[in-house]
Amino acid sequence: MGSSVKTTIIGSYPIDVDRLEQINGYYNQSYISWNKYIKDAVNKQINAGIDVIADGQTRDPFLNIFYRKIKGCRIRDRPEVIDKVEFSGPITIEDQKYVRKIIPKNKKLIGLIAGPYTLTQSCKNLFYKDDKELAFDFAEALKNEAKMLEDHVDMISVDEPFFSVQMPEYAKELISIVTKNISLEKRLHVCGDVSDIIPQLIELPIDVLSHEFKAKPELFDKFIQYDFNQKICLGGVRSDESRIEPVDEIVAHLKKAKKLFEDKIAYISPDCGQRMRTPYEAFQKLKNLVEAKRIVYG
Amino acid sequence: MFSFTKNQEIMEISGIKIGGQPGELPTVLFGGLFFKGEPDYQNSKKLLSNMLDLSKKTNIPAIPDFFIKKEEFILKIINFIENNLPKNIPFSIDIIDPDLKIKTLEILGKSKLLNRTIYNSIHVGITDEEQVAIKKYTPEMAIIVAFNPKDKSPDGKIEVLENGANLTELGLLEITKKIGIKKLLIDTAAMAPGDNSGASIAAIPVIKEEYGLPTGCAIHNVVEKSKWLDEFKNAKKSVDASSNINIPLFGGDYAIYGPIEQSDLVFPIIAWQDMLVSEYTEKYFGATPDKSHPRRKFY
Repeated sequence: MGSSVKTTIIGSYPIDVDRLEQINGYYNQSYISWNKYIKDAVNKQINAGIDVIADGQTRDPFLNIFYRKIKGCRIRDRPEVIDKVEFSGPITIEDQKYVRKIIPKNKKLIGLIAGPYTLTQSCKNLFYKDDKELAFDFAEALKNEAKMLEDHVDMISVDEPFFSVQMPEYAKELISIVTKNISLEKRLHVCGDVSDIIPQLIELPIDVLSHEFKAKPELFDKFIQYDFNQKICLGGVRSDESRIEPVDEIVAHLKKAKKLFEDKIAYISPDCGQRMRTPYEAFQKLKNLVEAKRIVYG
Repeated sequence: MFSFTKNQEIMEISGIKIGGQPGELPTVLFGGLFFKGEPDYQNSKKLLSNMLDLSKKTNIPAIPDFFIKKEEFILKIINFIENNLPKNIPFSIDIIDPDLKIKTLEILGKSKLLNRTIYNSIHVGITDEEQVAIKKYTPEMAIIVAFNPKDKSPDGKIEVLENGANLTELGLLEITKKIGIKKLLIDTAAMAPGDNSGASIAAIPVIKEEYGLPTGCAIHNVVEKSKWLDEFKNAKKSVDASSNINIPLFGGDYAIYGPIEQSDLVFPIIAWQDMLVSEYTEKYFGATPDKSHPRRKFY
């Protein structure tokens, strides 16, 4: 029986898109499937030894995946909201179905949802008078995606990086809408410096808190000041730098976390999405992370 | 019929003007040569001459679009251009392979033909080497194909122009500017039937209103790929030729109408359509037809 602590990723994984193949497909008027890129990202995770696999968010920067499919949004130089935001059909479901088909039975699958507040703050709002109203409409739209994901994945992650910049007083309501009636384990990922919002984070209706402990080791001291029920998804390698952390460095980091948080550590992951890393860097970081986890947790 | 609120740019190459408000300028027609197999230079001379003759007869500007499929054809085709195309007529080179594009640019540069060259095309497949070559051997004008594999709607076409849909580092408009091409045409990227093919027509007014740039497409490609039309052999050629009227009807400025063999049908159809548009837009919007417009010739 393996360790109860699992390795996973936050969301994005880098791929090399064959742009010439795409344009040749246009000239030949033939359909070029994106599945090979998803497969590439998934296989890299499997080969690195990751336990809980994600689709790698290869199609777009993660927010654009949602802006592209949610009614009322369009993508210009920046994404724009030009009409009432509404769910208009599955956003990531087909990709999740595909991933489920190609991963071994002993691997788990995590579904990824962009957070409503981050979506609100990362676009040009040309329709709503009030950001709060927009955020709630995004939450309602995402609720549908989360409910649909429930049938296809083993765990759901809501990514709200903007909370570390600004956490609205209605954050709990937003997250509650998205995760309402979801029976799966729910993770909230907030990268950046969350030291000032820990009291609000631990009040949210989620099961796992995911933060970048490697880039922000000061979070250790901040988190141990609080009593909280959630498990932790511990950032174990940095996503914002290309240096590949050696295994012993990650082991030291994990040991420190284990000592402080004991069995609260449920998952080990990179600090954030790895889209900005090269495929080589991303893979090596995952491999070292998995090996370090094996040394510390078995 | 309509007029754009955005000021409409007019791009000129070797005396041919492309762009403007609907009804101002005639639709420019690009006819393709050497698309398949070994180029037939003898027959092409006749076809080229016929196209230019039709252009004179209808007042519809003609630009030959030369496909170059293999390296061994580059020199021969450029010689053909030098020897058979009147010096006042521009031409486009239509090449898919980036290495062939680079080699062709170099030869066009050495042959001093770049000031008549329309580079067909810049798109998401552009390579770094190609960009370097364009900076060194800069064609007078380029066609940007707004093909976005992630979103084939008019919005998706604008996205790829703006930011490259995260496939290229910069948006296609910015790339084109960065590599030194000042005159550009937008191609709205006609897709296969059933793959949002109508969006290439719908995108014409959207893009012209957004940027004011000359815009068109190769809508005939959709007809060519409509296999169900094979059952209607007599009609297919006419459908192919008449599909081009969608472009001026939706405010577009140029049509890449496919094989030059189609010229006999396409030129009169487009002249007729241009006059229809011009009659109304002059009366309603005050868009005076240019002296080169077919309306000036026929009534």
